[in-house]
Amino acid sequence: MFLQKSKIKKSRIDWFFLGAIAILLIIGTISIFSSVAALGNQARIVRTHLLALPIAFTAFLFVWNFNYQVFQDQWKIVYAAIIIALTGVLFFGIADKGAQSWFRLPFFSVQPSEFARIGLILVMANYLDKSIGKIKEFSTVLIALGISAPVFFLLIKQPDFSAILTMLPIVLIMLFCAGARLFHIFIIMGFAFTTALLPILWTMIDLNPNLMQNSFINFFYSLSRFNWYLAAVLAGLIVFAYIFWFVFSKFYRNISKLYFVGIALVIALGLFSGIIVKKQMKYYQQKRLEVFLSPNTDPKGAGYNLIQAQVAIGSGGLMGKGVFSGTQAKLGFVPERHTDFILAVIGEEMGFVGIILVMGLYIFLMRRIVSTAYIARDRFGYLVNCGIFGMFMVYFSVNFGMLLGLNPVAGVPLPLLSYGGSNLVSTMIAIGITQSIYSRRYALT
Amino acid sequence: MIGKQLPHNRLNFLKISVYFLSLLFVLKVVNLQILRHDHYKGIAERNKTQIISQTAPRGRIFTKDKVLVSGSRPSFSLVYFPFGDASAKYAESLAASLSKYLEMPLDDIKKKLFLAVKRGTPVRIAENLSDHSMFLINELKTVYQGINIITEAQRFYPMNGFLSHLLGYIGKISPGEWKYLRNDSNYSMDSYIGKTGIEKRFEKDLKGEDGGVYLEVDSKGRLMQILEGKKSVGGSNVYLTIDSKAQTAAEEGLRATGSGSGAVVAIDPRNGAILAFASLPDYDLNAFVKSAGSNKNLKNIKEFNYATQGTFPPASIFKIIVAAAGLEAEKIDVKEEVFCPGYFDAGARVFKCWKKKGHGLMDFYEGMIHSCDVYYYTLGIKTGPLSIEKMAKKFRLGVPTGIKMPNEKAGNVFGPSRRAKKKSYWFIGDTLNLSIGQGEMLVTPVQMAQVIAVVANKGKFWQPYYIDKVVNLKGYETFASKPKLVSSINLKKSTWEHLRESVRRVVLEGTGYSARIKGANVYGKTGTAQNPHGEDHAWFVAFAQIDDKPSEIAVCVLVEHGEHGSSAAAPIAKRVIEAVLRDKLPKPPTVGDRQKATGDRREAGDRLQVKEDSKRLNDTQKIESRRVAGDRSQEAGIQVKEDSKQLDTAQGETDIPSIMEQVN
Repeated sequence: MFLQKSKIKKSRIDWFFLGAIAILLIIGTISIFSSVAALGNQARIVRTHLLALPIAFTAFLFVWNFNYQVFQDQWKIVYAAIIIALTGVLFFGIADKGAQSWFRLPFFSVQPSEFARIGLILVMANYLDKSIGKIKEFSTVLIALGISAPVFFLLIKQPDFSAILTMLPIVLIMLFCAGARLFHIFIIMGFAFTTALLPILWTMIDLNPNLMQNSFINFFYSLSRFNWYLAAVLAGLIVFAYIFWFVFSKFYRNISKLYFVGIALVIALGLFSGIIVKKQMKYYQQKRLEVFLSPNTDPKGAGYNLIQAQVAIGSGGLMGKGVFSGTQAKLGFVPERHTDFILAVIGEEMGFVGIILVMGLYIFLMRRIVSTAYIARDRFGYLVNCGIFGMFMVYFSVNFGMLLGLNPVAGVPLPLLSYGGSNLVSTMIAIGITQSIYSRRYALT
Repeated sequence: MIGKQLPHNRLNFLKISVYFLSLLFVLKVVNLQILRHDHYKGIAERNKTQIISQTAPRGRIFTKDKVLVSGSRPSFSLVYFPFGDASAKYAESLAASLSKYLEMPLDDIKKKLFLAVKRGTPVRIAENLSDHSMFLINELKTVYQGINIITEAQRFYPMNGFLSHLLGYIGKISPGEWKYLRNDSNYSMDSYIGKTGIEKRFEKDLKGEDGGVYLEVDSKGRLMQILEGKKSVGGSNVYLTIDSKAQTAAEEGLRATGSGSGAVVAIDPRNGAILAFASLPDYDLNAFVKSAGSNKNLKNIKEFNYATQGTFPPASIFKIIVAAAGLEAEKIDVKEEVFCPGYFDAGARVFKCWKKKGHGLMDFYEGMIHSCDVYYYTLGIKTGPLSIEKMAKKFRLGVPTGIKMPNEKAGNVFGPSRRAKKKSYWFIGDTLNLSIGQGEMLVTPVQMAQVIAVVANKGKFWQPYYIDKVVNLKGYETFASKPKLVSSINLKKSTWEHLRESVRRVVLEGTGYSARIKGANVYGKTGTAQNPHGEDHAWFVAFAQIDDKPSEIAVCVLVEHGEHGSSAAAPIAKRVIEAVLRDKLPKPPTVGDRQKATGDRREAGDRLQVKEDSKRLNDTQKIESRRVAGDRSQEAGIQVKEDSKQLDTAQGETDIPSIMEQVN
């Protein structure tokens, strides 16, 4: 089960790991410069990125050099800091692309939700560490969700959907790694799915009123308010659950009633919280949700962005067109080319070799994070590494999957490669924590 | 070491699932980049279009009576496509040729051309080409490749400065605005954007959707062909509550005054709709469009909005509020008389009435009619400064009206409680200053318009608004104002009655005489705000009512340095009221009517003559008879006097037929 200690060098510094990060940063910086060369605001982007790099490096060194266990001792301060930052941004933040997510500082803007992600991982790891004895109980899972709920609530208020999209899987992955029962995790996933899906569907109906002509859709839409229809549907759900249980119990004597009641309850709760979420959303938030769901509302038709990104990657070929010689991205066919679609630029300019190199480096990073988790000195370190691994896994799979057309387009960047100061700094902090765990894997000497 | 409770195989499971996922990605990348490379390479070579945006016509703005105050007209822009020869030499010679026809420095043209060549994107070199230069540049097109003229919609204000403070102007997008809008596909770095007023507030509605021309470029960004464009979609239309006739009357009235600066605000007391909103000096809105980004010559534009940002002492029009406080507190009897000797002895200092000779004995109505300061000094002391301050606050002085215009000033209410907060003392002189609206009291014209509207509707503060609705091109209302009651003042019925009676009599027999309108009851109050720096400012607030119907117009006029409210401000108010009530007032005689009227008068005059003659005949008879009787001469003299008096009246009031009939 454990990696043999002898397999990992007994050095306190994981040079391979740091080397991989350095290579990713270099590739990212080159691609960002190349992709913004034709943009009007290139000077600002280059300046911000060059400012973010030393800040990220300093943050990395700082976090690396002190004991990560301090985060466990001071988890209350970490938790308070992320809640205050996320609340503050709602009042003092500035809005961009319709989301109030940035603090304006003299030279750059800071996006607190990026740091909240790391904070949430630390707080969650502490909680799971403390309650590992009761991890099989559903209440533990519920409390874990209760801890992260304020963060999600504040993120919806901004609204920063892509942050929610990345944070919820991280929480679930941490629960999974801590050993929660799969059934409980599925319940949470079902609940989150209903809570997310219903407002999305209602919003889509809201924005396309001609769909209402369909009587079923009309009926479905009428459930978005508290009324008698809703009560009838809920009652029907419970009755159905009971009947199912009744039928199944004839065949399997030992089957628990809990499973059926649980499923009905999950759907009912999902419906309720979906209505609340819907009510909380302002019009512009709905509009943003729509853009988030289908960014292809483009004069040239659906899928334009994605097709252009794929054309960029595909035209790169084996070796690519050469750095700074890409045409697709540079001529403005690929949107968000320096952030979410940076991989398209890499694919076009560095070709198959570049993409495989980047992919390999990411896999190597994740491998190292996993091995660091196994050799960590305490359970807290293990769980923190699980969370950081989850973070990379979510970013990696969603961004690659999106670009290759495997999942819908979502505004998720590729850490260490994409442009975005806050994301870079927070990722480097996460790396610093991992390294701190690695360096302190033996007892204090 | 880690406790045994942890199921380590789970993390391993995740790790392995990442491997499998990566395998899937690798397969997909192989498919994209190796197997279908030629396919995508072909697309990349061919499928390269660029777009140059074409400004959509901004939404139009109409007044209540459907007069267009802000529209669009076509304008011509010069666009350069980096075409074929992209050498520096070529660009320089092109720039040199163009600079002959454009009013632009050579360096600017060069900079734009080089930018276009460097980025490989089309650039808009000049806008608003004159017909002459357009003709000459069209000839240049045969010599140089890549220059093109496109037609765009440009903002146009048919009446130049009309309603300028409310409409606002548009201008080139600034770097700060661009930062927030760069992700909005509807804006580009050379877009126009509403900078102030309605143009700014309803920017998103008015903007519309820009169209564009798609250009096919080769893999080096050179133009190959111009493809079909996307049509632009016009913005939503905005309908104002402003009445264009009233607005014209207000602006022309103000312009005709000596100083030519001031403000007129007219409100519908039934719902708070703004009917006229004039602030002078104004500015030519078209100048902002014409200047096209170079705002150097716009520095001396007078953007100061007198109606919402100008704070002045209310002076005598504040007496309405003092009177309301006095009546409400029942500190005065309307019949009680106060003697005005022309001054008021406050012990330490003597306070003067504006009329040095004094007004003599004044009751409540006469005090208002003649705006006697001494009466109000007495009234103020009887009522007490605290009640006056409270009443002023009830009338919402000292707080912005919330009319949704930038930088609205709140003015200042002073009184004993305010003083107490500042830990300062209150003197009797302050009470006297407060009673006649001088001292630290400061109000804006829009606040006073609201005050008089509240007197008109007996206590209802409606939120003032000037947008009626916003209608998009499909005919749907995307925004509609609903009257909103902000607060209401509950005063006794008798207070309102006395107050209204007194301001009615101000117009009938007092300082507001020049605001009388036939067919409507005008209620008003003049004011003259003392100005230590120059001529006094003239105020006039009024509202008009036809019979017993609810009043439809309340107006406040401020003429800066206008000296007297009665002579400078009241006639403007009269014109505005007449314009608003134009359909409800008895028709002023048209040319035909007037001729008929003069004809009647002549006829009547003839008849009078006949009557005179007959009288004279009578008189002679009488004289004769006097000669006979000897003692009836006196009686006859009186009769002649009465006749001539009747004649005077008949000539003075020519337009009213009833008097004619009397004469007959």
